[in-house]
Amino acid sequence: MNVAILGSGNWGRALATLAAEAGHRARLGHRGRPPGGFPGSPNFHALTAESDLTLVAVPPSAVREVIRLARPGPAARVVIACRGLEPETGGWLSEVVTAESACLRVGAITGPTIAAEVMARRPSAMVVASEFDEVADRTQRALHSAICRVYTSSDLRGVELSGAAVTVLSVAVGVADGLKLGVGVRAIIVSRGIAETVRLGRKLGANPDTFRGLAGVGDLIAAASLHDHPGTAAGLRMAQGGTADADTRKRAEAMVALARRHDVELPLAEAVAAIAAGRLKPRLAIDMLMRREATTES
Amino acid sequence: MSGIFDHPPAAVISEALQARMRKRLAKMSDTEVQAYLADAIYLERRRFHEQRKTDPPDPAEVAPIQHAARAIRGDRRDQELAILHLVDTYAHEIHNEFNRRTYQVATKVLPGALGRLLTATRPGELLHGHFNPEERLVIETAHDDGGAWLRRIAQTHTLIYAPTHVSNLDSPLIGFALHSLGLPPAIYGAGLNLFSSPVMAYFMSRLGAYTVDRRKKHALYKDVLKDYSVDSLGRRCHSLFFPGGTRSRSGRVETSVKKGLLGTGIIAWQEGLEKRRPNPEVLVIPVTLSFSLVLEAETLIEDCLQEEGKRRYIIADDEFSQPRTVAHFARQILNLDDAIVIRFGRPLDLLGHPVDDEGRTIGPGGSPLDRRLYVTDRDGTVDWDEQRDRVYTRVLSESLVRAWHRDNTVLATHAACYAAGQLLRRSYLHLPTAELVLVDDEDRSLPRARLLEALAQLIETLEQMAAEGRLRLRLPGPAGDPHGRATAVLAEALQRFRGFHSRRALADEGTKITMDTRLCLYYGHRLSGYGLPDPM
Repeated sequence: MNVAILGSGNWGRALATLAAEAGHRARLGHRGRPPGGFPGSPNFHALTAESDLTLVAVPPSAVREVIRLARPGPAARVVIACRGLEPETGGWLSEVVTAESACLRVGAITGPTIAAEVMARRPSAMVVASEFDEVADRTQRALHSAICRVYTSSDLRGVELSGAAVTVLSVAVGVADGLKLGVGVRAIIVSRGIAETVRLGRKLGANPDTFRGLAGVGDLIAAASLHDHPGTAAGLRMAQGGTADADTRKRAEAMVALARRHDVELPLAEAVAAIAAGRLKPRLAIDMLMRREATTES
Repeated sequence: MSGIFDHPPAAVISEALQARMRKRLAKMSDTEVQAYLADAIYLERRRFHEQRKTDPPDPAEVAPIQHAARAIRGDRRDQELAILHLVDTYAHEIHNEFNRRTYQVATKVLPGALGRLLTATRPGELLHGHFNPEERLVIETAHDDGGAWLRRIAQTHTLIYAPTHVSNLDSPLIGFALHSLGLPPAIYGAGLNLFSSPVMAYFMSRLGAYTVDRRKKHALYKDVLKDYSVDSLGRRCHSLFFPGGTRSRSGRVETSVKKGLLGTGIIAWQEGLEKRRPNPEVLVIPVTLSFSLVLEAETLIEDCLQEEGKRRYIIADDEFSQPRTVAHFARQILNLDDAIVIRFGRPLDLLGHPVDDEGRTIGPGGSPLDRRLYVTDRDGTVDWDEQRDRVYTRVLSESLVRAWHRDNTVLATHAACYAAGQLLRRSYLHLPTAELVLVDDEDRSLPRARLLEALAQLIETLEQMAAEGRLRLRLPGPAGDPHGRATAVLAEALQRFRGFHSRRALADEGTKITMDTRLCLYYGHRLSGYGLPDPM
């Protein structure tokens, strides 16, 4: 199978490693210097047209531009391999693909798969979701090997929402760690963060089980355990008095806006958005979360 | 062979449907074949049992089920034969032979025929119609060319007309609209209850209606219906589906659709590509019907307000079951200007994309694209995938819903009822809608001045939405003058509601306007789905 990977950063190269390990021909789409180790091309359109599967491994803010360059056609299968909502619009990344191109067969992958660990050939796992069984099956075939287990799901919305939630909740974990609140608070953020994501997911028609699997709990535990994870690192900086980068702020705002549109309360995501926007000090945010009205767990 | 004028007799159709069923059975295990037949026997027997209490089932319907019940005890071959026997029975029941002579006669006497057809309660009355529906119906097309584009594209493409479903009058009205635009007739599924009037039955069975018995719930019958649709589309019969499935109970423009029949388009298209038929392409035309007054409004909203579980999918005893009520309605509505707007929207391909003047798919970048690539391999071979096609049909249904909302025409009765409902809502902020419709008579009386003010504000919003292309407006009074227009809209609504339903949706009492909450909810719902608050 010809697998195109648009994006030649660490994650793009990790995906190429997995595809090669599964016995497929991986080619990297790059915009700067050609990456080492894998064949590549700066022509995203040609790469996509010649491939059986296209994985998009660029930051969410760059997905629209990359899809405009790649122009996937009706025959293409495009899988989003980055987490989050589009920061500028708050839209789903899979819908960016269908809005910007003729491609309808889209999917998304996520999970606790760390680029450095993949490159070191350590065991990993992820989940690929698509409404189209053939897209999920094809992606599984492309990446599943002895070093990576790939599970399929039809819950595209659940997997995309999980990815978006992890980018925000990992910031909360970073804030808690930066304030040295201990492992108990970290566990609270993971479990209550998943609970609030499940609430929103239900409104969106997602399957609650998705959030309890690799895409939700699994990914969040991995992110929370890594201080150089982008979200956790941003949280740490904010706890130490630093300001949030634009991406972190926009991601949190997009998540909160999505929840408001569906009349769902996300206390943790709202706290992250308020800290990132400079409206709340981290300690005060934690204090406010703890003073919320007592309630049942579910 | 192509089109409704060459639609073959039932025996030929039956052969074709049996061939399709044989293919389906070939993919099933022994257990699956048995379960498929058992499901038909069980659900039909249960229906016969329930029906016996009121209306004994037709022996012709019972016999094949009895035969199937004997066959299910036999081997696979016996079971398959029983299934094919049922297919044959259903094929003859579903298919009505289009009658070219009846069509020619009907179209010769048109435009008066529709008025006569609707207003006559006995065949003899057909000769004495006085109505000219062409003057009363507003028929619009997206190309605004009197149907010229549709006429041209219908020669090379098979068209699926996909309308919103408001009333049982929808099918004959669309049939009439097609004729008015010079388009060939379309086949359409009509519920058995619509064949109860001898006049309607005579015409419907000869003018393209095929019979759908919604009481039959088993998978086998539904598969035969779908196969019939695929077969007809393959024979280039333009078809009319109501993707909403049943008439909108609430009065809202549909927000979800049933994918069963709609999904037959993509199968027929792929069969056409695979068999290299001369004109395999199928396009979907969204059709939006807007009624100033709806014959069945009282029954439909009553059913809508029933608790979940007590609602009826099939309503057989509504206003439409009484020929004199239909005649009274038709006389009234056909005497009103702009009473019904039928809009043929921008065509879509089977994946929900718009198409250009040549019927080619327009991609998101605005340039044409080869839609066959969605269903074929790199070498051009059709790549069958039912699961994929179900997702494609879901995508199409979302495009359809957007098109219906865009093409929905807001009329005076809708706007006036919505504004009245909103005023009532403001007085009872915390009451759920189900309780709000039950408020006392004196509380349903609204000061005229306040209603006019609310209506003027609403008209301002609607004019803005219409300018943005989110909906269409057909209101009396001067555009850009919300207060002047509000007065004209209220006057028209009051005049239209006079003496039509058993209760008036809005009634003029001088400085006060009284409202019927249920009917106002029904007509006001026409503004739902645009991000405005609910009418009540």
